[in-house]
Amino acid sequence: MIRELGALTRRELLRLARNPQAIMTSLLLPILYLLLFGQAFDLGAAVSPQALLFLVRGAPTYFSYFAAGMAGFVAVTATLFIGANVIFDRLFGVLKRTSSTPAGASAIFGSRLLAGIIQPVGLAFLVLGLAVALGKLGLAGLVVTASLSVVGVGEIILAVLILSVMFASLFLAIGFTIEQPQTYFAAVNAINLPVLLTSAALFPWGLMPAWFRNVASFNPITMAVNVIRENLFSGATAYYPYDASVYLLGLTAWAAAIIVIAILLARRALAPKA
Amino acid sequence: MAGSSGKGSVVADELTKVYNGKVRAVDGVSFTVSPGEVYGFLGPNGAGKTTTVAMLTAGLGATSGHATVDGVDVLRHPEEVKRRIGIVFQEMTSDGDLTGRENLELAAALYGVPRTEVASRVRGLLERMQVADAADRLAKTYSGGMRRRLELAVGTVHSPGVLFLDEPTLGLDPQGRAGFWKYVQELRREHGMTVFVTTHYLEEADGMCDRIAIIDHGHIVASGTPTELKDRLGGDIVTIRPIQSDHDVAPLLRTVPGVLSVAAQDGNYRVKCTNGEALVPALVDACARSQVGLAGVSLKRPSLDEVFLEFTGREFREDEGVSATDRAVMLGRVQNQLGGRR
Repeated sequence: MIRELGALTRRELLRLARNPQAIMTSLLLPILYLLLFGQAFDLGAAVSPQALLFLVRGAPTYFSYFAAGMAGFVAVTATLFIGANVIFDRLFGVLKRTSSTPAGASAIFGSRLLAGIIQPVGLAFLVLGLAVALGKLGLAGLVVTASLSVVGVGEIILAVLILSVMFASLFLAIGFTIEQPQTYFAAVNAINLPVLLTSAALFPWGLMPAWFRNVASFNPITMAVNVIRENLFSGATAYYPYDASVYLLGLTAWAAAIIVIAILLARRALAPKA
Repeated sequence: MAGSSGKGSVVADELTKVYNGKVRAVDGVSFTVSPGEVYGFLGPNGAGKTTTVAMLTAGLGATSGHATVDGVDVLRHPEEVKRRIGIVFQEMTSDGDLTGRENLELAAALYGVPRTEVASRVRGLLERMQVADAADRLAKTYSGGMRRRLELAVGTVHSPGVLFLDEPTLGLDPQGRAGFWKYVQELRREHGMTVFVTTHYLEEADGMCDRIAIIDHGHIVASGTPTELKDRLGGDIVTIRPIQSDHDVAPLLRTVPGVLSVAAQDGNYRVKCTNGEALVPALVDACARSQVGLAGVSLKRPSLDEVFLEFTGREFREDEGVSATDRAVMLGRVQNQLGGRR
């Protein structure tokens, strides 16, 4: 199992390394959000600094709050195509070849998951770095007000990693279930936007109506960006009801549930046809 | 059931596959392939060849029946069967985004080839399959023949006891097909592997297989060595094509001494005889005397083409029909549409 998992993961990473366009595409959406949405929406101009702190939960500027949200959202954009690769591998016969070998469904699923979650962590830090750099160029930029500890960085990595595991599993489950690329992308779009828009990645928390906050609290993207924001902004913990570790636990529960479903679907898809 | 079911053998006993409860793609097929034998499954598209291979290689569940491969029950231990066999599919299944070498290394790891042997085995196969020069090029840049040889290398990297080849030379030119078979024969000689091949190239089946089964509409209609099958025809075939197709000349042809049988088909008459060359003048003469104008006369020595015609009642055409899977998919679509209207 370990050797099969390693060999199949190597295959996924080789393919990824040979396709830098895929990495660029994953970055494109968060960058566009940073450059357009983030720059255009100057909440600080409309409210007092004290009110702003309440609206964006301790972040120094709306852009800083928003950039941390984008670092979490990268987990979605960077895993979007992972299920499409399953569909194309099925269309081009590669999945048939792999399924005909003794490699089990767990190795086939696990290798795609492992390779899929490496990219988002790197991209999340790239987005944060880019957001800081925008500030140096005279544009709205990310201002980190907390002194980052090793534990803090670890928590941010863990949050993006767990969120990536969850979304990668979800998109893999769809890829193993759906046979047509068009249907896959329709399904993914149907998930992608509602999940983003019901999270606290973009919208100022303080402006949300109470019912929306309740919905957003259970959104896994919200849980991940809460961890990022608590670690980036000094005094932000006062605006959050729970410690970052609680949000990490919530995220883990989400990821575990989705993984179980995804593995079951992958096993069914890779089992001999009835 | 008679025959060996041990190492290197392939045994099917009343193997049946029914799609959607209606399309009987494979219908009670039974056969035994002995260890080290090259066994050919010959038939047109939709005959049930690929479905049979899919069941034998644990890629498709059987509706009923029983099968063992290399002495292992396919239905009970599919994972063990996968470990013991090699497969070359009719479509390209190696990864075009990996190099030839990477494809082989991946297959070696998945089949559990000892780590210490992987490098030498991969190098040896790349050289044998004449793709060593392109070993570090992406497989998608290979020519059709090179890609086919790579497929064979991927399917045999673990030296399997039984090798399944499903239409392995589909789309290759004659030279490419000859090259492919040369490698199969070499591998077979060296490793003593059993080869189960499906094809609709008659000359391939004739030249490469120890025994052949002709499958049509999911049934095996004849089996034996190529020579046995051709001998069953009982001799040469003279085909007479009268100018006027509305006049039945079969009774006339049967009166000619040496004629064993006459069968009418599509306006032609297939005359079976022991010595066609000597009989042609007599047949032409008999027609002339009865004022039957002839548009053509041809003589064929027994071939698998003729064998196929004899046992299925129709000409062998390589592009004939749709596959059983396609038929099942089409049936499913029709059923869905009907269901949607209800």
